[in-house]
Amino acid sequence: MRGFITLLRKELAAYFVSPVAYMVLLACSLVIGFSFWFWVNYFVTNNIKEVTVFYAMYNGFFFWFTLIIMCPILTMRIFSEEFKMGTIEMLMTAPVREWEVVLAKYFATLLFFSIAWSPALLNTAWMHFASPEKIQISWGMILLPNLCLLLIGGFYLAIGIFTSVLTQNQIVSAILSFAMIFVLFCVGFLANGKADQSTQDLIEYFSVMSQMDTYSKGILTSRPIVFYLSGITFFLFLTQRVLLMKRLKA
Amino acid sequence: MIQVKDFTKKYAGFTAVKNINFEVKAGEIVGFLGPNGAGKSTTMKVLAGYLPPTEGSVKVAGFDVVKDSIEVRRRIGYMPENMPLYTDMRVEEYLRFRARLKGVTSKKIKERVEEVKNRCSLKDVERKIIGTLSKGYRQRVGLADAMVHDPELLILDEPTIGLDPHQIRSVRDLIKDLGKHHTILLSTHILSEVEMTCNRVIIINRGKIEASDTVDNLTKLVRGGGAIKVEVQAMSSLAKDKLMALPDVDDVEVLTDSEWSQIKVFPKNGSDIRDTVYGLIRNEGWGLRHFNREGASLEDVFVELTQD
Repeated sequence: MRGFITLLRKELAAYFVSPVAYMVLLACSLVIGFSFWFWVNYFVTNNIKEVTVFYAMYNGFFFWFTLIIMCPILTMRIFSEEFKMGTIEMLMTAPVREWEVVLAKYFATLLFFSIAWSPALLNTAWMHFASPEKIQISWGMILLPNLCLLLIGGFYLAIGIFTSVLTQNQIVSAILSFAMIFVLFCVGFLANGKADQSTQDLIEYFSVMSQMDTYSKGILTSRPIVFYLSGITFFLFLTQRVLLMKRLKA
Repeated sequence: MIQVKDFTKKYAGFTAVKNINFEVKAGEIVGFLGPNGAGKSTTMKVLAGYLPPTEGSVKVAGFDVVKDSIEVRRRIGYMPENMPLYTDMRVEEYLRFRARLKGVTSKKIKERVEEVKNRCSLKDVERKIIGTLSKGYRQRVGLADAMVHDPELLILDEPTIGLDPHQIRSVRDLIKDLGKHHTILLSTHILSEVEMTCNRVIIINRGKIEASDTVDNLTKLVRGGGAIKVEVQAMSSLAKDKLMALPDVDDVEVLTDSEWSQIKVFPKNGSDIRDTVYGLIRNEGWGLRHFNREGASLEDVFVELTQD
């Protein structure tokens, strides 16, 4: 546990000295800031009341584009750099277990990911307190899309961490995880084909876009939670196995 | 402290270490020597709990390096060759991180980090980023890292590589000093270093142990160990015959032959023949102006044991 916390702090600090991380933060806050400003303006001028700003923000092209690009970028160096620099040898000769290393690296990345997306919630809070008339807030419609984002992002980051343990080349790792994430993302589009109803339902279950759509409407379903938590566990488990195997089968 | 039994390490299709046995007792400073590719680093990696042995058992402080890997790692300070470090961290920050990772209690971290910084003369670079440090400083950061948790056993893979002569001397003194309280296994190519610091030497070649003994005993093994060089006022051929007749003399070699002859006398298997040689010279009444017992250097031993 102590090893986990020590490593978590170190990994999180490592993000804030890397230029790549600042680029991601910048890109993220630009996308969030711009779309927030755009949709609030649009909703006010056109007097739209059917959906929330989060629904508009989290179901658009730029949202998915940013999410799919940022996960491989955030995770590509996690293990590959340790292998390339040889620091993995220092790490694994300290009294820490493989799962502590994997979990610490994963949660540091997830924390950084949450920090990168926090402007969305901060903007809402700011709007709430700054507007002269208090708007009625539906907590579900604000928090649920963010929970969904955390689940999807958490899953994609676990995939990214897994691919970074496979290679010592950051670019290879990024391309691998991008390919996997992109394929998983595109599965949802198959639902528009001419398959029968039961197949379409099955595909719907895997479709990130329809999950986000449901959550953004303030409807909580357990399916995505179960799906993503087991997916995260699966990929982190694989990562731990590969890390152990690389050392023991060398 | 270290027990290695029938240890073999194979990489895919290649045997790095073949069935070796050795032991290191608590408090010893042992030099681990061998040509490049002999299996030194592999053995050290296994001892550090990083790689598992293919066959045989390797125990450190009574714990198996595979089954009780964590217990082993708690008790050792390992400094790998090439010293991989996180280049974007500051020296102080890195040492604190490593101390915490190795289980030094929060109260003691400051004290331990201060101590290793002082011992490895890192005080003036503590705020610097490791990536900007010179090779010598990085090497010392690695050494400081290895001893930050005050381990029972230090495993140092070529600790003085890339250092300048001053730094080599200070690291050597540091190792000697550490040896008072710690067990140390170090590998190096600088043989004079081993002669000065180590109680015992293990020489390994092509994955096999060629010798394991004290430096003194090893030098007796090779021809020339304990040879006596004399410069006497006598006819060289006569002196040679008389010297050859002495007990325990293996061979006599005449180096220069004039009014004063330089002669080298080789003893049989390392025995001490100073008395008998001097006795002969006195009895014969030869003039004597040089008398020296030459020890074979560790270098001679190393070359003889590891040549093909």
